[in-house]
Parts: sequence; C-alpha cells; structure tokens
Amino acid sequence: MADEDETKEYRWESGYEKTWEAIKEDDDGLLESNVAELVARAKRKRAALKASGAIQLGMMRHLFVIVDSSECMFLQDLKPTRFLCVLKLLEVFVHEFFDLNPISQLGILTTKLKRSDKITVLAGNQKKHIEALQHLKDLSCEGEPSLQNSLERAMNGLKNMPAHSSREILVLFGSLTTCDPGDIQKTIKSLKDNNIRVSIIGLAAEVRICREIAKKTGGTYNVLIDDHHLKELILSQVQPPAVAGSIEASLVKMGFPGGTPTLNDGTSDSSADHAPAYCLCHIDSETSSLMGPNGYNCPQCGSRYCELPVECKQCGLTLVSAPHLARSYHHLFPIKPFVERAQVPDATHCFACAKLFVEAETNVYECENCNQIVCLDCDLFIRETLHTCPGCASDPVTAQMKTN
Amino acid sequence: MEDKEERIETSLVAIVIDATPAKKFASQPLDGSSMMNRIFDSMIAFGNAHLMQASHNKLAIVACNSKSTKFLYPSMDGTSRSYHNRPGQYDMFAKVDSDVRHGLGELILNDLTNNDSTKSDSLLGGAMARALCYIHRVQRELSLSHQLKPRILVVSGSCDSALQYMTFMNVFFTAQKENVVIDCCMMDTDSGLLQQGCDITGGQYLHIPSIAGLLEYLLWVFLPSPSCRSKIVLPPPAKVDYRAACFCHHKLVDIGWVCSVCLSIFCKFSIMCTTCNTEFKLNRPAIVPAKSKKRARIE
Repeated sequence: MADEDETKEYRWESGYEKTWEAIKEDDDGLLESNVAELVARAKRKRAALKASGAIQLGMMRHLFVIVDSSECMFLQDLKPTRFLCVLKLLEVFVHEFFDLNPISQLGILTTKLKRSDKITVLAGNQKKHIEALQHLKDLSCEGEPSLQNSLERAMNGLKNMPAHSSREILVLFGSLTTCDPGDIQKTIKSLKDNNIRVSIIGLAAEVRICREIAKKTGGTYNVLIDDHHLKELILSQVQPPAVAGSIEASLVKMGFPGGTPTLNDGTSDSSADHAPAYCLCHIDSETSSLMGPNGYNCPQCGSRYCELPVECKQCGLTLVSAPHLARSYHHLFPIKPFVERAQVPDATHCFACAKLFVEAETNVYECENCNQIVCLDCDLFIRETLHTCPGCASDPVTAQMKTN
Repeated sequence: MEDKEERIETSLVAIVIDATPAKKFASQPLDGSSMMNRIFDSMIAFGNAHLMQASHNKLAIVACNSKSTKFLYPSMDGTSRSYHNRPGQYDMFAKVDSDVRHGLGELILNDLTNNDSTKSDSLLGGAMARALCYIHRVQRELSLSHQLKPRILVVSGSCDSALQYMTFMNVFFTAQKENVVIDCCMMDTDSGLLQQGCDITGGQYLHIPSIAGLLEYLLWVFLPSPSCRSKIVLPPPAKVDYRAACFCHHKLVDIGWVCSVCLSIFCKFSIMCTTCNTEFKLNRPAIVPAKSKKRARIE
C-alpha cells in the first residue's frame, strides 16, 4: 500500500475508532459526573460561539409553522405517532417562542390532501395557538403533502408584513414526496425576493428539494435522529436568527399603557381610565364580560384590553409593556465567555453561589471584566439563563449600564 | 387522592439587605440604639423565625452597599468562628446571629474609606444575582425527596438606579423562569423597578410607613410562604407602572418610537438610532399621480 493512502483510508481499512475510551470512570466507579462534564463542555463551546455579539438579530419576528399532516405522519417511529409527537413539541415551542420573543407573531398551517389549510392566523396571542394545537390532535392525517401550496399560502400571509420584521417559515416535513401544481423554483425565487427565510426539519430522510429551499432562502435544513434531537432542533428555532439579507430598519410607533394615577409629567388621569368597560379582545365572542378597572387602555384611542401585547383594533397601535421589550435586551449586550483556569489558591469559594471549591474540580472560570471566579455550574447558569455576570454587577465601576 | 410519595417541601428564603448608609438613618437614635442596629436586629429575628417554621427550611442572607456585595450567611470565610449561644438557644440561631453581625461589620468598614461613595447607587442588582445563583445551586444539590420552594426578600431604602436597569430585568426574568418569588419591603422611598419585579414574579410589595415597626411587618406579611398567602389578609397590591422610559431623557412615555433593530425606545421620531447607529428610512406615502378626469369619462 502506498504511503499516501495512509492519510485517506477507507473506514474498513483504518483501525477501530475506540470511542469508548473518551469516557472514563472516576474514583468511585461512577460515570455520571464524567458524562455531565462532557455535556457541559459541549454546551460551553456552543455558547462561546454564539456570544460574539456583532451579529444583527431579527427581534420582531413573523413566523409561520407548517405541519405536514399527510399519510406518513401516522407512522409510529416517533411515539405515539409522528403527528402527535410533533404537536406536543410544538406546544412547548409556542410557549418558549413567546417567552423569548414577546412582540413576535406566529401562525400555523397544515398540509394534506395536496392542499394546505390555515389553522391559526398570524397573531401574538399564545393561548389561541396552544388551543388550536390541542384541537389538531383529532385531525386525521391523509393524502399527500404539497410543499408549494403551503409555502405559497404562508408567503401570502407574510408579504404584507412591515419591512422591518424578520419573516420566517418553519416546515416540519415528514414525507419523502410532495405534490405540487406548478414549478417550485418560481416559488423559491419569490420567497427569496420577499426576504422570507425558510427552515425545514425533516422527520424521515434528507430530501433534495428541501435542502435547496433552505439553502437558497438562507434557512437551515436538519433531519432528526430521534425524538430528543427533534426537541433540540425545534427549540433551536426559538432564538432570534441573524438577519438574512437586508432588513430595513425603521422606528415603530408603540404604546405603553398602564400608567399610575399620580403623575408628575402632566398627563391626566380621567376617571374613564379606570371605569368598568368592555374589553375589545373579547367583544366578538359570546362570553364577553364587563371588565373591571384592571385592564389596559390604549393611550391613543382609549380602548380597553385585558392583556398585553396586543395590536389595538381601533387605531392600529401596537401595545406592549416595558418588560416585553426588555426580554430581548440581553441579546444586545451579551457577556463575554469566561476564561477557564486552573484553581487559584486565593479563591476558596465560588463568587456566585458560595460553594466551596473541592480538589476534584480542576477548572474554575474567571470573568475578564471583574476577575471574579465562579464554578462550572454557575458559569452555565449565568450564560444560559441569567445573562448577567454577578461579579460585574457587584462592582460599582462596571455595574452601571453604558449609555450615551 | 394523595400521592404515596409526597415530597418534603423545603422553603428557602434569601434575604437581600441593602446596607447603604443613608445619613439620616445612621444618626437617628431610637430607644437608645440607632435605627440601623434596629433594622439589622429585625433582619436576624426574621431569619431565625423562618428557620423555626420547619426543620428543613433554609436561609441565605446577602448584603450590599454602594461598594460591594457580600454573602453574610452562609459565610464564605474559611475559618469557623466560635460563637457562644445562650443556654437553651438553638445552635443555628446563634450561628446566624454571629455570622450576620460579623459580616455586616466587615462590609460597613470597607465602605468607610471614601465619603463620595454614598453618591453612587446601591448594588442591589448584583446582590440579587448572587442570591439567584445560590438558589440554583441549592436546587441542584437537594435530594429528590425534597422539593424546593425558593423566594427572595429584598429589604431596601434606596431609590431606583436607572443605570442598573438591565441587571434588574435579567434578574426578574430569571426568577420568573426558576419559579422564585421576589418580595420587597421598602423603607422610606418607593421603587418602580422592584414593583415591576414583584409583579412579574408574583410576590408582595410593601412600602412601610414607619421603620420602628419593621419586624412586625416582616413577620406579618413576608413570613408566610406564597402558597398560603391567599388565605391571609395582606396589604392590597400596588398598581404597577409598566410604562417604559425613553433612552434619551429617561422620562416615562405613553407612546414611544421603538427602533426595530435594537428595541431601544425614543420619545421623538429621529433619523438615526443612538444605540445601534442605524439610519431609519423615512416612510413617505407614495405619491399617486392624479388621473385625468377626461379619460375616466371616456372609459
């Protein structure tokens, strides 16, 4: 065998990859801590890649979810059936999506019998979507899916959205075929022209047209391995994506209802603000009830709503509360990844949780700004959930937010 | 039907004390001991009262001032200090008492260096973040037979710090996600940010009219756990002001302009966003050419 073959051997020629050697038992013969460490390391690597902070993120998102309800979704390779498994995960997705992107809107479509059906319109109300998903469980899956029809329908819904929002489609596709009335290349072209990004999650195997759609529109295409992987893939769509192409930035007018009666800046509090009134969100339904003084009044036209965020039906103003916008602020000020170091004799306790550092913990993590040392678990917690370094917040110099 | 395996409920209270010395508190005597002393005594009594409720209950105390934050209990000192307990006193009460007094002493002494430091804001955000990390650690370390019910009690007399807005909001959203209830006991001034936090997490906000009765208010309002608060008559919730402050003047606005890229709020329409430096397109309505009337008549 020539020497050059050594570098590029075929699998059957090379030696075995001894993957089991990566996992070692610790002193007590347990594998748990080791596996947990490996998972933690993988998480840190991913988080470090994300935290560059220079990417522009699409905060206001309009997302259509297209669920394949064709015959093949009754297969039981995901328990109990593919369709029910997907619906369950979508409920979790809807909850997390509105948690992280409170001013975004979501719509749900299904495709079966070579057509596509609209389940919910683009709306920002979480409960409606979750209710609709629960009713969908009774739907029978039959016929063939139509990728083009569903994409065209979603595109019609997204075309009229304002230019500053990020337009996205997420397709959960379980079939290996599609039945389209026309040329899907034209659809792909118009998707691209309208700046719509399509991401597809395949439930069966890789389909070439899906790969092409995702590539041309700037989305992602993944095929799942098992149900845990599916959950991960769906939840990865919750994070705001980097801006694809050019999105026009504009100033959006928004209202912030909910002022207190005693104000110093001259705005008046008429008794009409707190009088009982019918709320406009339930006025169409038969069970609408008289609202007490606990609603929110639109600052522009005075109509009453039970909950925020909502788009005022009368004057078209988007009503949000300050915490809804603040939820997305942590993307704009990401914290730099902590530096991994060997244990320092000075720091006996983790700064964040006051845990004593034991000999077994080899690595501690240090923040570059404030030089405080934290343990591995606090590092993950800070990075994934808290988004604030306790050390920087406890230092009078770095605690103040940088404003112009 | 009761579950056969009922998990033991462990209640963890993390008290965050704002020890920023406002001059009027430090010098005002009340019944022989100064106001500050009385406040700290009430804290320790409250902490011990919580530990007394059930044997599994846990306590943590974090203090802050404008210079730094510090874990008072459990103490981060490596050396175990000897403490004398009065005969018949539960050991843990004496430990809490001794650790808190010692820790507070160190914290206040650290601040004596520069008088100008009283002008900068109290580091409440940092203290709450550390309390949350501690709660997260206890949650991980607790065995499966216990269920943790954590809450944070903030005792403070300082006004809002607009520059620490981000830290506060991150803490509130994390607390909401981790099911931690944030209660707040304000002396002297009102704090809009902490009101929002209590509303977001479902906690109780109270502005105390008289500081001499601090212990009474703590034991009445904040000692019961959130699950039994619905059965007790508590002070009515304050109406929270959820309006946002504009980034340019820090004034509260009813209707504002929001940059679609970075979500910063402005009170007036402008051409460029000061936070992310993007230029905005002015939306002019399309000018429709007037159709000539003659053509319309012929058609």
